[in-house]
Amino acid sequence: MDSRDKIDRREFIRAAAVLAAGGGAWMAARPDAEGMVWQIDPAKCIQCGRCATNCVLNPSAVKCVHTYEICGYCDLCSGYLQPGAKARDTGAENELCPVGALKRKFIEEPFYEYTVDEERCFGCAKCVKGCGQFGNGSLHLQIKRDLCVNCNECSIARNCPSDAIRRVPARRGYLFKQWVSGEESEG
Amino acid sequence: MNNVSRYPILAALTGLVTLLAAVTVSWQWLAAPSIFDIEMRLPGKDGAPARSQAARQAVDLVGVFQAFDGVPSVCEGSWPRFRGPDFDNIVKESAPLADHWGASGPPILWSVELGEGYAGPVVWNGRVYLLDYDEEERADAIRCLSLEDGREIWRRFYYVDVKKNHGMSRTVPAVTDDMLVTIGPRCHVVCLDPVTGGFRWGIDMQRDYGAEEPLWYTGQCPLIDGSRVILAPGGPDVLMMAVDGETGEPVWTTPNTPGWKMSHSSVVPTTIAGRYMYVYSAVGGVVGVAADGPEAGALLWQIPWNARVIAPSPVPLGDGRIFIAAGYGEGGMMIRVQENGGVFSAEVLYRHGPREGLAAEQHTPIYYDGLLYSIMPKDAGALRSQFVCYDPDGTLVWSSGQAQRFGLGPFLFADGKCYILGDTGELTMLRISRTAYEELDRAQVLHGHDAWGPIALVGDRMLLRDLTQMVCISVGAVS
Repeated sequence: MDSRDKIDRREFIRAAAVLAAGGGAWMAARPDAEGMVWQIDPAKCIQCGRCATNCVLNPSAVKCVHTYEICGYCDLCSGYLQPGAKARDTGAENELCPVGALKRKFIEEPFYEYTVDEERCFGCAKCVKGCGQFGNGSLHLQIKRDLCVNCNECSIARNCPSDAIRRVPARRGYLFKQWVSGEESEG
Repeated sequence: MNNVSRYPILAALTGLVTLLAAVTVSWQWLAAPSIFDIEMRLPGKDGAPARSQAARQAVDLVGVFQAFDGVPSVCEGSWPRFRGPDFDNIVKESAPLADHWGASGPPILWSVELGEGYAGPVVWNGRVYLLDYDEEERADAIRCLSLEDGREIWRRFYYVDVKKNHGMSRTVPAVTDDMLVTIGPRCHVVCLDPVTGGFRWGIDMQRDYGAEEPLWYTGQCPLIDGSRVILAPGGPDVLMMAVDGETGEPVWTTPNTPGWKMSHSSVVPTTIAGRYMYVYSAVGGVVGVAADGPEAGALLWQIPWNARVIAPSPVPLGDGRIFIAAGYGEGGMMIRVQENGGVFSAEVLYRHGPREGLAAEQHTPIYYDGLLYSIMPKDAGALRSQFVCYDPDGTLVWSSGQAQRFGLGPFLFADGKCYILGDTGELTMLRISRTAYEELDRAQVLHGHDAWGPIALVGDRMLLRDLTQMVCISVGAVS
């Protein structure tokens, strides 16, 4: 081979540097050049409970959130009450949440409002599963953006059996359930 | 000489460190949250008032009558009550029905807007009757429509406050040549002349019999048996009763000795060991009540079942066995009723949770040709929301599979086919098979959601609804 056809080491490094700088500038100039964050797709979540234990944070950055427009505000709430609960009240023996993070408040006959105490919630998904089985599915899990440290390789995403955790643009941040034309959809 | 004397500085340092450690631990212990900061998770923290049957205002059930310009259809056939003429959701003699609908689906003949709910229609002499809820008037509205074009013939409504609580309307009327009877979501019973809409009588099962309104209002549908109307108030004194269809006066009552309550289930007539009886799945248990003769109204047998929310009705198999189902984690059970020396008794043949066997959350299973068919509830594990076929011995025969899941919606058998309405208005047609799920066609016939109201079929006209709309479609075979 002719030695004039060879690229010497210095030229190679120079070309690579130009390419990297150009690529970086192009990436920075793109309109969607923003961070990506991890989030749970409620449509894929199977409430396995691993979000509670696989997050690098303790307690987990995953919390239950509530889309009120989907909620039926029922007295007999399968997200709040244990299966076969003796009474429909706030006694610990009747509550499904192991830490009492889901609160209920009487609004007017026959409606009750359910709210999540994020300080207590650790993302076990028991309430989410109960809500989806008999209720409207208004309770669902989300990774809280103010808590998540956004690891390059999300530990719960790596262990999620249903691939429910994916990267979304930071400007969206959440995949809340919404009530649209009678169907639940992402927000 | 001991070590302390030998190393006084070391001893002093050891003592100091020990003292500092003790102070630190004590400080942390004292600074830790007191046990008195622990929140006691006790009943009554939701601010709910005590549950009581507070006296409620009387409702003028005579209400208001309005006439419109609809004309009854000349179409023959009827669908006179909940689950059809024989309480089984099976059309025995139907017009030839299409095996395929093609890309455009079955023709939609007419549609009407309804108040939110799941109330299903009945059909009699070309008229469609429906207990709707009029959200503007805040009233239960008994509506009579033409089967021909859906135009309204008359309506009678009475003012009663019903809040949106998973819809408002619930039930299916019962109709004969002599009377039209409805049960409203708040337990109001009204009897009208089916042709003119003239008021006959009314009963408030809560005020008059102490009935306790079930969660999400009542789903009990009335039963007309000859000249009598059979109701199950489940009040403190009366579990079931027959009232005279002409006057509304009680003919007999069944004392509520078990102390059970009203469910969403409906009273089903059946004959066991030659005894005609009414079977009712109350909150608390299942009962059989003598339907005729001098003992009419007597409690023949009972069997407790601690299901909290019961929507499906009992399914008699004709040989003394009765299948009972309930949602919300309960599952199903098969009981056998037997007679011995004139005394009836019931025993449980098997009982299971929704993951272990046949179950139903909302619509009653169908018993056809020796097999039971149902849509499984969402807590049925791998079979969740699948259409299934079970042998009455508890063995799964087939299921629709993972790719074919349905909602809570109704299903009906006719002309060797099964029609299943999905939650969002997709109608699926199957060939009834003893061996496998065999789908014939699908069509989107409604475009709303919560399409849970029971289906009615008269001739080749099928009536279906979602939360706010009812359609009449033609499912007949094209000649």
